[in-house]
Formats: sequence, C-alpha cells, structure tokens
Amino acid sequence: MAQRQRIVYLVLAVVLGHVILISAQVNAGPRTSVLESFTFGLFAEMQRALTSARDSVVGVWSGYVQLRDLRAENEMLTGAVADLEYQLQEQRALARRSVGLQKLLDFRQVVELATVSARVIAGDATPYFRTLTIDRGTGDGVYADAAVLAPKGVVGRVVGTPGRRASRVQLLIDRNAAAGARFERTRTTGVVMGGDDENSLRMEYVSNFSDVHVGDRIVTSGTDGIYPSGFNIGTVTHVQPGSGLYLDIRLDPMLEFSTLEEVLIVVSDGAIATMNREGE
Amino acid sequence: MRTWVIVLGLAVALLVQTVMIRVVADGTAPIDLVLVVVVFTALFRGRVVGLWTGTVSGILQDVLSGGIVGISGLTKSVTGFLVGIVGSELVVSTIWHRVVVLLAASVFHTLFFLGVHSLLGTMMLTSAISFVLVQAVSNASVGMIAAALVWIVPKVVRRVRHRRTLLVRRNWIMG
Repeated sequence: MAQRQRIVYLVLAVVLGHVILISAQVNAGPRTSVLESFTFGLFAEMQRALTSARDSVVGVWSGYVQLRDLRAENEMLTGAVADLEYQLQEQRALARRSVGLQKLLDFRQVVELATVSARVIAGDATPYFRTLTIDRGTGDGVYADAAVLAPKGVVGRVVGTPGRRASRVQLLIDRNAAAGARFERTRTTGVVMGGDDENSLRMEYVSNFSDVHVGDRIVTSGTDGIYPSGFNIGTVTHVQPGSGLYLDIRLDPMLEFSTLEEVLIVVSDGAIATMNREGE
Repeated sequence: MRTWVIVLGLAVALLVQTVMIRVVADGTAPIDLVLVVVVFTALFRGRVVGLWTGTVSGILQDVLSGGIVGISGLTKSVTGFLVGIVGSELVVSTIWHRVVVLLAASVFHTLFFLGVHSLLGTMMLTSAISFVLVQAVSNASVGMIAAALVWIVPKVVRRVRHRRTLLVRRNWIMG
C-alpha cells in the first residue's frame, strides 16, 4: 500500500515538474542552458561520426560498386547547377537592388554576403520534421539567428546557442518560424510563417485589398534583420479573403526541406543590414 | 533488461532517428524510435522504470529538437508509466501482444503530444488523424522487427548450436 502511494506521488511529482518546466519556457521563451548546450554538442559529435560512417559506406557502395564515373560526373554537374542557381538568385537580388539604386542615382558599393557552406549531419529527434543539425558552429563564425540559405531559396535560421562545431537550424516550415517577405511582382510585404501541415508555408498580414494571384513568387524582404532581401521563399498556391483584415495565403516552398544535404550560412551580420538598406 | 542496455538502446534510437531515417525515407517517415524503446522498457522493467526512461528520453528529444523542453518528456513519461501498468496487470508475453500495446501506446502518445502542442499553439496538424495512424503503424512495424531480432534471432542461434553439438556428439559416438 505504502509503495503504491509512493509511486502515485512520484508520478505526480514528475508530471508537475514537467508542467512547471514547460510553463517557465512559455512565459519567458526558450533559453539555452549549459546542460542543453553540452547535450547538443555531445550528440552532434556522435551524429557527425555516424554521418561520416554512413557517407563512407554509401560512397564505397555507389562509388566503386556502381557506375563510378557517372556518379562523379553527376556530382560535379549537381554542384555546378546548385552554384548556378545560387548565383542566379544573387544576380536577381542584385538586379532588383540595382533598379532601386538607379532610381536614387546613388551608386554605392554593393556588399557581398559572406557565407560558409555546411553539411546537414542530422534531422529532428522527433518525427515532426522541423529542425536540422549542421556541421558548422561558432568556430566557423556562425552566430545565433544567422540566416541559412540553399541554392533554391531560404532554409531557416540558426536557433539556440551554436556549438563550436555544430549548430541547430530552425526550418522556415516550423510553425514558430517567421520571415519578412514580399511579393516579387507587386512588392507588397507581409510575414511568411510555417504552415499547419508538413512542408507548407502561410503568409500573414497581407491586406484583403492586395493584388495577389496563385503562382506569385514570394521573396525575402529583409525587414526582419535576419534574412538578406531578395532570396526565394515560395510560390502562392492558395489565396482567399480571410475572416479579418488580411488575406488567407498558402505557399508552396521552393525547397524540398527533407532532402537538404548542403546549405550556406550567412556569417556577416553587418553586411545584411547594409545590403537591405541598399535594396530599399 | 539491464540499465546499460536501456541507455544504449536510447542512444542508438536517437542517433538512428536523427541520422539514418533522413536517408532511408527522405526525412518524411513518421517513426518515433525512442517511443519504441520506452514502450519495450516499460513492458519489461515495469511502470517506474518506464516513467524514468520516458522522462529522460523525452527531455533528450526536446533538447535535440530545439523546441520547448518538457513536452516530449511529459508525454513519454506518462506513456511509459501507463505501458508499465499494462505490462504488470495483463499478460503480454508474445510478440503480437507487445505489438498491440505498442500500437495503442503510439496512438495515445501522439494524441497527447499534439494535444499539448495545440494547447500551447506551437503545432497544429490539419491531417492529425492520418498522421497518428501512420505513425502508430510505423512504430508497431519497427517494434515488431526489433522484437523479432532481439528475441527470435538468439533462439535460432541457440537451436542451431544445439543441433550442431548433437551432430558432433553423434559423429563422435559413431566412430
């Protein structure tokens, strides 16, 4: 009897402890403790080792057993396409900025983004795919809130305190993620947030009177101070008047988040502000 | 099931969940390997160990996911405790019984998890029912394979060894 009572008290204590822990974070926002940083760093090293081992096995299998030359050529071409897509985005962003600059007749030097490339070493620890772990950290110049990009568009931002050799990236499709955005065609601004379903986005704070069509391309506006302006986010798949003042807009992301392997992290914090100022 | 086996099982489940599932299923497979370990631990070691395993593994998952720490901890500890009660009150000795418990535990855990997130407004799935069912079936399938590997393979190996020993003895006697 006494043992059963002890177990009931234990369960109540555990549940209460969790509720207090959750409440503290909901009220004050999530904070990274030393224990969290340590656990993340430790697991990141194990994930890095396992990813390397996995890549080695996959590399041996597909490199030597399967068509070796075709694979090498394919890798080279895939890399070239990724580079070109990224360059195209940069050029488009540059062109848009140039128009603004020409209007002002004020040709100032355009600041190029300093980026480092990173490899995705792990996905989310839960089945609700919302974060990634990458193999770059503070040792490579990565800081909290750094923008993470891919050749086809925006991936997300670094969340929490990055480790020395690894960082956690919150994907843009996370319901709690947001980015300042604008329509490429009309330049109307809004905020893009993670959607309710997997791999979907929604755009908020766009007036019911705005001119929005299915297929419109959305790019970053740079107003959030995290993402540089002009980078691809997605295209409109659904638009209808909302119940309040704003349109109900759903987007299809440009990226296939689940298959990301390489990303670029923006490491020049000051450059983004300068770039965005010049883009406006 | 010794404590180090549980710790090793959790570490392997977390690593496979984060590193391998992305590759095997393009990161889209709704499998919770950690929950599978918690359920089997609770079935074999009882409600208190199930509770603690759920707490530790859930908090680890939360820490690695970067979300609110405690949600997975809460849902997994309660699930581990309830499975422990089921394991001690009912006869769940065959693989099929355990798979049914795993299926029920997966449905309960996912609904509980999504419920807490909905209350906090941090996650809402419009197709929650299909997600819950797919995850339950995926977890049960993985659990069944794991159970088969853990319990059937050693038995088969023992039987093969026993037969080989008998054969050697017979040959020795015969000449």
